[in-house]
Amino acid sequence: MASAALRNQVATKWQDAFNRLNRGQPGISGLMGFSEAWSVASEFLYPKDLGDPPKDFNVQHVKAAFDVLIQCRTLPMLLENFVETMRQRQYLITRDVEAFMAEYENSNDPGIIAKLTLRLCEWYAAWAPLVELGQTISAAYVAHFQTHVFSVLPPTFAGGFKALISATLAAFTDPESVPDAALVQDPNLWQCFETLGLTERYEALISSVCYEHIENHVTGMCAGKWDEQMLSKLREWMADKVVPWMLLPYARGAKTAEEARAMLQGVGSRFDFHVCKTLCDLRTKELFDIIIDYPESAAALQDLKECLQRVDQRSQLVQSLRKANKRRLLHPGADTKDILTQYVSIIRCLRIVDPPGVLLYKVAEPIRRYLRERPDTIRCIVASLVGDGESGDSLVDDNEPIQPLQGPQVDDYMDPNWDPEPIDAGPDFRANKPSDVISTLVSIYDSKDLFVKELQVLLAQRLLAVADGNYDNERRNIEILKIRFGEGPLQVCEVMLKDMTDSRRIDQHVQQQNPSILHPTIISRHFWPSLQSSKLTMPGQFKKIQDIYAKEYTAFKPDKRLRWLPHLGTVQLKLELQDRTLNTWTLDELMSRVGLTERTASLKALFAWVDRGVLHEESSENFRLLEQAEASTVPRGAAHRPIIEDEPMASTVAQEQAAQMRVYWRFIEGMLTNLGQLPIERIQSMLKFAPGYDQTQEQLAAFLEAAQREGLVTFSQGCWKLHR
Amino acid sequence: MKVTIKQWNAVAQWQWDTGKQDDATDGEEDVCGICRNPFEGCCPTCKVPGDDCPLIWGECTHVFHMHCLLKWISTAASKSQCPMDRRQWVTAERKVAPSGR
Amino acid sequence: MSSVYMRRLGKELMDIQCDGLPEGVRLLSADNMQSWFFTIQVLGQSLYEGEVFALEFRFDNSYPFSAPAVLFVKDRTYAPPIHPHVYSNGHICASILGDDWSPSLSVTAVCITLQSMLASCKEKKLPPGNDTYVRTAPDNPKKTRFVYEDDTCDPLLCVS
Repeated sequence: MASAALRNQVATKWQDAFNRLNRGQPGISGLMGFSEAWSVASEFLYPKDLGDPPKDFNVQHVKAAFDVLIQCRTLPMLLENFVETMRQRQYLITRDVEAFMAEYENSNDPGIIAKLTLRLCEWYAAWAPLVELGQTISAAYVAHFQTHVFSVLPPTFAGGFKALISATLAAFTDPESVPDAALVQDPNLWQCFETLGLTERYEALISSVCYEHIENHVTGMCAGKWDEQMLSKLREWMADKVVPWMLLPYARGAKTAEEARAMLQGVGSRFDFHVCKTLCDLRTKELFDIIIDYPESAAALQDLKECLQRVDQRSQLVQSLRKANKRRLLHPGADTKDILTQYVSIIRCLRIVDPPGVLLYKVAEPIRRYLRERPDTIRCIVASLVGDGESGDSLVDDNEPIQPLQGPQVDDYMDPNWDPEPIDAGPDFRANKPSDVISTLVSIYDSKDLFVKELQVLLAQRLLAVADGNYDNERRNIEILKIRFGEGPLQVCEVMLKDMTDSRRIDQHVQQQNPSILHPTIISRHFWPSLQSSKLTMPGQFKKIQDIYAKEYTAFKPDKRLRWLPHLGTVQLKLELQDRTLNTWTLDELMSRVGLTERTASLKALFAWVDRGVLHEESSENFRLLEQAEASTVPRGAAHRPIIEDEPMASTVAQEQAAQMRVYWRFIEGMLTNLGQLPIERIQSMLKFAPGYDQTQEQLAAFLEAAQREGLVTFSQGCWKLHR
Repeated sequence: MKVTIKQWNAVAQWQWDTGKQDDATDGEEDVCGICRNPFEGCCPTCKVPGDDCPLIWGECTHVFHMHCLLKWISTAASKSQCPMDRRQWVTAERKVAPSGR
Repeated sequence: MSSVYMRRLGKELMDIQCDGLPEGVRLLSADNMQSWFFTIQVLGQSLYEGEVFALEFRFDNSYPFSAPAVLFVKDRTYAPPIHPHVYSNGHICASILGDDWSPSLSVTAVCITLQSMLASCKEKKLPPGNDTYVRTAPDNPKKTRFVYEDDTCDPLLCVS
């Protein structure tokens, strides 16, 4: 049984509670007042259905009731009660949400989501306690309402909300594309989002909508459009269309334009960055084709340049272009000429994008390595240098001034204009300050001697082919090349040209002394590419004509003699044929008679006569002279014949290099015999003293590897030695 | 069959007449004993071969690039001797040997 | 200006590598156009049987119009031969390296001459006045004017 103390204690508590509720008023009138206040407040807060008629409350009256409850310190209890009732009435909202979401899931119309949010706002308004009731009540209400709403929104809502945001943005940028623009442009909509806490909850989603929108727009507007600068247009579009939309989510509650601008600054900069990055990505992906299109695509390159200043995508650009080059350019099916053309375009284009040349340096390296391995690269470059008509577009821009080749430059730190190299330059990078395209091409190789050699071969072919004695073209070319390569290396070409004019002068003299049908080109050996020698013996009158001419020559130049190269030159013959004895010759007989040892050359010569109806091939490699044209012996079509490869008159540089390397092999062999084993650098440095040696270390390495395959040398511990 | 030559553009190399047989020069060619460049090339100071960088014949039958020999003779150390045989250098009158032709 | 003639050295090196050196002579190094090193030994019976010497050739722009400076190497590995024409500092008194030089001579020819100079030696002894010479000799033997006699040497020192 309760002790007196306990009873006393309970009585005290009860008295306390009573006093709190009765507030010291007479009798229980205070208590009665409290009871009424409670009932008014509860009634006021009761979450009613939207269809219910509005209750008519006197604000003063309600406030007074709340004041009573506050005095009685029962406000927390009231709120608890309110939240509980909200929970009980939650089904009203759930019903609406389910109905709207079902409709949305059927139609995928973001408009439904808009309606849903507006509806939820109505619920919010309907259940909201008066603002005048104070911050505490409002805050508690917002928190609980939002919690309730979020708990009933299904997972599909996020997708729908995203579609809705997207529609609101599209309504600004492209109103035509949005079916019920008016709905999504409802100015209350964003207020609703705010009220329901959607803006905050879906902040990342809203910005992703904008990012995606920017991406779609940039791709749609700029893909394949390279003849116009797009970046400024994109920025205009952002300012005109996107920024007004941005005010809605990002400048909420801004009171002045100034305030709005300040609020948009951060997000605006992020979106501008995204514009640049998207355009940069697109142009990077398109770069290979943009380069093909150059110079029509110059505007796209300007854009890329500007984007790269904003977005650091330089290494991506290098990777991507290198990959494209590897896949589309540097494969066996591509013509060397095309590779060179594209390389030149790459040079020009990347110079626009990145004037210091770091990007070019990084992209060019694999191309240069690949070109170095191609046997006809030098020939292509040289042909283009001398404006070889048949090779199509010249690699050289006619507007580019002809200037001396530029070697690698050494940094001049005393130069007040010296700039440090760009940070992504890498240790091997040498700022090839504005050097011309030809210098860049020539620098693919370590030595320009190779070019001069190839030039020599080309010049020899042309000079010996010139029929009218007009060498002006060649002379002009050499003059131009002298500017590029310097006088020294082209000295041999000078001698070749001089030989041509000297030959003419000598011929004029000889003709005066003793007219001859023969007009030889007299060349200086050692200054012409090695012309294949021939042991051909000239028959009968041919030999006589040569001898007479040679004698006149020696009379004119007493210290000199002529050595004929009978397999070179051209001759016009008139053959008079009549019915006479028929001789047949076998190929071998013919060959021994004229001293020819080249079987293919002999066959080729004979077939030339067969084609003209002079000879007839009786049986395989058995020929008969046709003294009378035989109608029946229509020349056999070339198709029946073995294909005879034309041997070039002057050996190509590649052949010559191979021949030359054989000479150097003896040198290397001697070196390794004398010195045991050597690293390649040492072999190369010693070979450099050998006259005429112009191979690069890479070429030497390739040669040594070939020698290794043949079992001549071995390689171990970084040194080469003879295999014994 | 009658063959008439209407026009003939041949190609020939010139070479110095050093008195050797024509064919002998095919493989091993003659070089100047001083600079070791071929006679048909030019001496190290010249750029154009032939008449611009002629040979000089000694009575001792030795032949050099003229420029090389003159440079040697101009040194005190040469004592005006032929580099090959150390005999007093005497330039041959005209070395037009009606050789083997 | 006469450095264009230095290209001749390149040709000589090429010949050495391709055609080899006379027996008993081997190339040690020829890494530049200033100095080459060879080893040299006398073949067959001689006072120097089994001995290997090293030769240094020094070239300048006057080559081949003037002889290269040639001397026996004196270092930890090699010592000059004891020979009446070879000073103990490696300097050599040989007429073809001085008065009798001719541009038609070559590095190989010098090696052969020195080989036979050693081969024909009858008594291993230092040149007369070796000590005096070595004390005052210039670094470059070409700055010394030697008087060449059959068996003796007489260096007349020249002021550089």
